[in-house]
Amino acid sequence: MARVVIFGSLRAFTNGEGEMEIDAQTTRELLRKLATLHPALAETIEAGVSLAIDGEVFKEAWFTPISAESEVVVMPLMVGG
Amino acid sequence: MKQDFKILGTRPIRPDGLDKVTGKAMFGSDKSVTGMLHARILRSPHAHAEIVSIDTSKAEALAGVKAVITGDDFADVENRWARYTMQNCMAQGRALYDGHAVAAVAAISKTVAAEALKLIEVEYKILPHVTDVDEAMAPGAPVLHEGVKARKLGDDVSGNTVGYYSFGHGDIEAGFANAELVIDRTFKTAAVHQGYIEPHGCLADLGGDGRGELWCSTQGHYMVREVCSEILGIDSSQLRVTASEIGGGFGGKTTVFIEPVALKLSQKAGKPVKLVMSREEVFRASGPTMSASMDIKIGMTKAGKITGAHAKLRYQGGAFPYQMVMMGAMSAFAAYDLEHVQAEGWDVMTNRPKMISYRAPGAPMAVYAVESVMDELCQKLELDPIDTRLMNAAREGTKSSYGPTFKAIGLVEALEAAKAHPHYSAPLAPNTGRGVSCGFWFNFGGQVSVSMAINADGTVNLIEGNPDIGGSRASISMMAAEALGIEYDRIRTIVGDTASVGFSDVTDGSRVTFAVGIATINAANAAIKEMCKRAAKIWEIDAEAVEWVDGAAQPSGHNAGNFPPMSLAEIAATSGKTGGPIAGHHEGAPDKAGVSFGVHMVDVEVDPETGFTSIKRYTAFQDVGKAIHPAYVEGQIQGGAVQGIGWALNEEYIYGEDGLLQNPGFLDYRIPVASDLPMIDAVIIEVPNPGHPYGVRGCGETAIVPPLAAVSNGVAQAIGVRMFELPMSPPKILKAL
Amino acid sequence: MRYVVAKDSREAVALLNTGENARLLAGGTDVLVQMKLGNKAPSLLVDIKAIIGFSDISAENGGFRIGAAVSGAEMGEHAGLKAMWPGVVEAVELIGSTQVQGRATMVGNLCNGSPAADAVPAMLAAGAVARIEGPSGTRDMQVADLLEGPGKTKLGKAELISSVYLPARPERSGDAYLRFIPRTEMDIAVASAGVNLVLDENGCVLEATVALGAVAPTAVMVPNAGAALVGSPLEEQALEACAAACEAACNPIDDKRGTVEFRTKIAGVMATRAAKIAYTRAGGQL
Ligand SMILES: Cc1cc2nc3c(=O)[nH]c(=O)nc-3n(C[C@H](O)[C@H](O)[C@H](O)COP(=O)(O)OP(=O)(O)OC[C@H]3O[C@@H](n4cnc5c(N)ncnc54)[C@H](O)[C@@H]3O)c2cc1C
Repeated sequence: MARVVIFGSLRAFTNGEGEMEIDAQTTRELLRKLATLHPALAETIEAGVSLAIDGEVFKEAWFTPISAESEVVVMPLMVGG
Repeated sequence: MKQDFKILGTRPIRPDGLDKVTGKAMFGSDKSVTGMLHARILRSPHAHAEIVSIDTSKAEALAGVKAVITGDDFADVENRWARYTMQNCMAQGRALYDGHAVAAVAAISKTVAAEALKLIEVEYKILPHVTDVDEAMAPGAPVLHEGVKARKLGDDVSGNTVGYYSFGHGDIEAGFANAELVIDRTFKTAAVHQGYIEPHGCLADLGGDGRGELWCSTQGHYMVREVCSEILGIDSSQLRVTASEIGGGFGGKTTVFIEPVALKLSQKAGKPVKLVMSREEVFRASGPTMSASMDIKIGMTKAGKITGAHAKLRYQGGAFPYQMVMMGAMSAFAAYDLEHVQAEGWDVMTNRPKMISYRAPGAPMAVYAVESVMDELCQKLELDPIDTRLMNAAREGTKSSYGPTFKAIGLVEALEAAKAHPHYSAPLAPNTGRGVSCGFWFNFGGQVSVSMAINADGTVNLIEGNPDIGGSRASISMMAAEALGIEYDRIRTIVGDTASVGFSDVTDGSRVTFAVGIATINAANAAIKEMCKRAAKIWEIDAEAVEWVDGAAQPSGHNAGNFPPMSLAEIAATSGKTGGPIAGHHEGAPDKAGVSFGVHMVDVEVDPETGFTSIKRYTAFQDVGKAIHPAYVEGQIQGGAVQGIGWALNEEYIYGEDGLLQNPGFLDYRIPVASDLPMIDAVIIEVPNPGHPYGVRGCGETAIVPPLAAVSNGVAQAIGVRMFELPMSPPKILKAL
Repeated sequence: MRYVVAKDSREAVALLNTGENARLLAGGTDVLVQMKLGNKAPSLLVDIKAIIGFSDISAENGGFRIGAAVSGAEMGEHAGLKAMWPGVVEAVELIGSTQVQGRATMVGNLCNGSPAADAVPAMLAAGAVARIEGPSGTRDMQVADLLEGPGKTKLGKAELISSVYLPARPERSGDAYLRFIPRTEMDIAVASAGVNLVLDENGCVLEATVALGAVAPTAVMVPNAGAALVGSPLEEQALEACAAACEAACNPIDDKRGTVEFRTKIAGVMATRAAKIAYTRAGGQL
C-alpha cells in the first residue's frame, strides 16, 4: 500500500486527513481511488494535480508505476514562466 | 549517467545569432502580406465600469474601415479558463481594469484605424474599484466576479479571494515555543512587468472556410492554437500557428492577449489582419506579475537552528480568477530542512490587468520576505548568514516544506561555493552592505515532440515545437550532436509550426533544455538504431551485432564481423538504396525535471543624502545540473539577477486613487539600464539531475528568486535600517534614513 | 501634414506666421515623440537644420555662440566650448543616450518647455542669452526671461531662437550641473542644479549663480543660494546655507517621480554637490 500525503489546504476535502494508505499500481488508479474515498476531492483531481512520487514530481502522468513502498504527495498542478 | 562529453560544455555560436544582430530575424510585427489590414484596440479609460452601450456605426462608416468588433462578436465558450482569457482579450458587459479592451477596428492603414477608434462611442457606468490586495481581500470590497470564491473560505475574506492553499508539516506553535528568538514581519511587493523588449504582435488570416493562419510572438504556439480555436469555435487542425522569433517573454507570452481579436477581425473582414500592441498597451493590458502582501514568522535558536516557520501570502493577480499563490507558498521555505513549517497563500482578484507568469511565478516575493527575516535573525543573533543557511539547508533526503522528499540537490554546494568565494571575504567600503539570499525553483518537464531527419549528405535537420527564448536551438543541436556523435554545425534545429511537428507544451517552467533535450536524445537514438540496421544489412550481419560509437556504426565485437566503422555520412549517402530516408522522432512527457537552488551575493552602496542604491558587486551561484552551453546558462543567471535587481530597486505598477495606471511606459516604469549594473559574475554549479541522461536541470527561473532579498539585505546593512517594502526606490530609502 | 526644410530664418518665420498649426523641428527628439504619442498633431513641420549658420559653434567676444541646430554630440566634441563652459556642456550631454545625442539640441531642450529639461538650469547659471528671430526682426533675451511654464516659453507664435550665446568668463571661474535620477541614465531629472562660480585670488567665492530644475513649473534662479556662497571658501556652513536657500525656493509637484519632500531635499543636495565641482573647476582647493 502506497502512503499518500495530501497537501495542506486539500485536507479541507478529506475531513482533515493528511495521510492515508492506498493500494494502487499506477497514478491513475491511485487518483481514482482517492476520488472515490473522498468525493469532495474529485473536482480538484479533475481540474488537474501534480504528484510527487518518492520525491520526483509528475504532472498528470497516468501510468507512472507506484510501488507498495512509495510515498505519493498530491499537490496542485504547477505552471512556470 | 554519461560524464565524458565532446560537445556539451563548449560554447559554439547560436544558430539564430547572425539573423538577430543583422536585423534579418522576423519578430511578431515583422510579417506582412499584401492586402492586409491594420488593427487597433479601443481600451477602457476606467478601472471598473459597466459597458452600457457601444455604438460603432460611425467608425464602421469611416472610409477604409473594414471591420469593427466588440465583446458581442464572441460566442460564449464552455471552459471557464478559456472564457476568462477571451473576456480578458475583449470585455463583455464590464470593463474590469484601466486598459481593458472594449472594441477593435481593422482598417486599411494604422492611421485610419486610429481615426476609427475615436468614432466609437462607449457609454460607461462607473463602478467602485479596488486595486490593493489587502483592500480587495477585506469583506465589503467591490467583488470582480460573483461565485468564484475559493471553496471552504469563511466570511472573513471577500469574494475576490479565489484561491487558498496551505503547505507544510509539523506543529508550528510547538516550533515557535522552542525558539530563542522569533521574528514576525509584514512585507509588501509591487506588481512588476516582465519588461520584454518586443511588444505582442501578430498577423492573422482566418478565411470563410474556417481555415486559419496565425503568425505571432509567443512562448507556446500550440497553446495559442488550442486557446484561439476554442474561443473562435474552429478545429485546431484548421488553425496553423507559427511562432515568430521572440523578443523576450519571461512568462509574459504564455497566454494570448491579442490573437483572438486579430483572428475575429480577419474573419469578419475577410482579409489578413496585423495587430501590434504599443508599449503603453503592453503595460496596461498584458499581464504583469502579482503584487503581494505577506506575513512571515520564523523562530530560531541562538545557535541558528530554525525551530518553526510560518508564511501568510496574499497575492493580487488582477481582474480574473487565477491560481498562482500556491507556487509562492510552495517555494517560500523550500531551501530549508524544517520540522515545523506552514505556508499559506490566498489568490485575490482586483481591478488590474490579469496577471500572467513571470519567471518563477510566485516565488520571488515569498522568498524575498522569508530571506529578509532570515537575515534579520542572523543580524540580531550575530550569526554568519551563510553558515546559518548551511545549518538549515535542505539536502538529499530532506522532506521539503511543500511535501516531496528531495533527491540529489545542490543547495549545500552553492552555499559552500558562496562562502569560499573571494567576494564573501572582500572588505566593504563605507555606506556599503553585503546581502545574501537563497532561491529555489521547481523546474518542469511536460509534453514534447521532436522530429529528426538524417540527410543524404550527412547533415541533420531537427524540428521541435518549443519557441526558443533563451538559446535552446543551440543547446538542442548540441545534445543532438552529442548523441549522434557528429559535429555541432552539421545540425540545424528549427522550431516547427503547429502543422509540422507534434504537440508541445509552452516554453515555460525552465523545461525546454530538459524536456526537448530528452526527446532529442531519444529521437537520435531511434535514428541510430535505424542506421545500425542499415549498416548491418550492408555488412550482412545481425542488426544486434552492430553498435554506434563516435558517430559511426561498427561491429560490436570480433565475432560480429571484421568491418571498418561506417560513419553517419556514409550510411546516409546510401540511404536511398538501403531502404529510404532515415529519421528519428520522439513524443513524450518527461517528468523528473529536478529542482534547482541558487545563492546570490551582492554589495550595494547607498547614498545617505539621496537614498540612491548602486550595485557594486554581484555574484550568483546556481546548481544547473549540467550546463549544456555554459554561456547561455550564464546569460540566464545574469538576466534573472538583473530582473530581480529591478524588482528590488525601482520597478512598480503605480496606481492612483482613480484606479488608473500612472506609468505605462519605460520612462516611469524603471527597468535597470546597462550602466546601473556591474558585470554579474555567474558561478555554475553542477550537481547532475538523475532524471536526465546528461544531468540537465532547468536553469532559467531560479536566478530571479534570490536578488530581491539579497539587495534588500545589503541595503539593511548599508543604512542600518531594514526596508519591508519593494521597490526600495530612493524616496523610500531617504525617508527611512 | 506638410514637411518643409527652411532655407533661412526668414522663411522659417514666414512659415510659422501662415496661421497653420506649425511646429519647428530641430533634432525632433521631443516633437516626433509627442506626435507619435498623439499629444501633438501639427499640420506643418518646419525643419531648421539646413539653415546656414544654425549648425555652427563660433567664438564671439570671448564667448561662444551656439547655433539652434547644433546637436549635443557636437557640443561635447568642441574642446574650446567644453573648457570654458563644462557645466553647460555636461548638462546637454546628459540628455538621452548616444543615439539621442546625435540629434537633440540645446535650444530644442529649452523650447520644449519641460521644467525638468537638463540644459536649462545650466544655461540660467551661465547667464546664457538667446537670439530670437521674428516677424519684427532680431532681438536678444536672457534665457531666464524666456521661461514661462510647463510646455510654454515666452516666444511669440512666429518667433524662433537662432542661437544661444554663452558669454566670456573671467579667470578662476567654473560651472557644473548635476541631476538626480533613480537610475544612472535614460531618465528625467527628479531635481537638478546648475552652479556657476567665480573665485578671488584667495579661493573665496566672488560671484555665484545657482539655478534649480524640476522643482517648480520652470527652472528657477535661486539668488539666495548664490548669495550664501559668496565670500566663502565653500566651507560646510556656506554649503548648508546654500542648500537651505535651495529648499526654500522649491515649489515642486508630488507625483510618481518624486514626492515634494524628496524633491526639495534632493535639490539642496544637488546644488551643494554641483557647487563643489564648480569650485574645483574654478581652481579652488576643497
Ligand atoms: C530617449 C530620450 C531621452 C531623453 N532624455 C532627456 C534627458 O535626459 N534630459 C532632457 O532634458 N531631455 C531629454 N529628452 C528630451 C529631448 O531629447 C530634449 O529636450 C532635446 O534637447 C530636444 O531637442 P530637439 O532638438 O530634439 O528638439 P525638437 O524635438 O526638435 O524640438 C523641441 C521643441 O522645441 C521647439 N523648437 C525647436 N527648435 C526651436 C527653435 N530654434 N526655436 C523655437 N522653438 C524650437 C520645437 O518646435 C518643439 O516644440 C529625451 C528624449 C528622448 C527621446
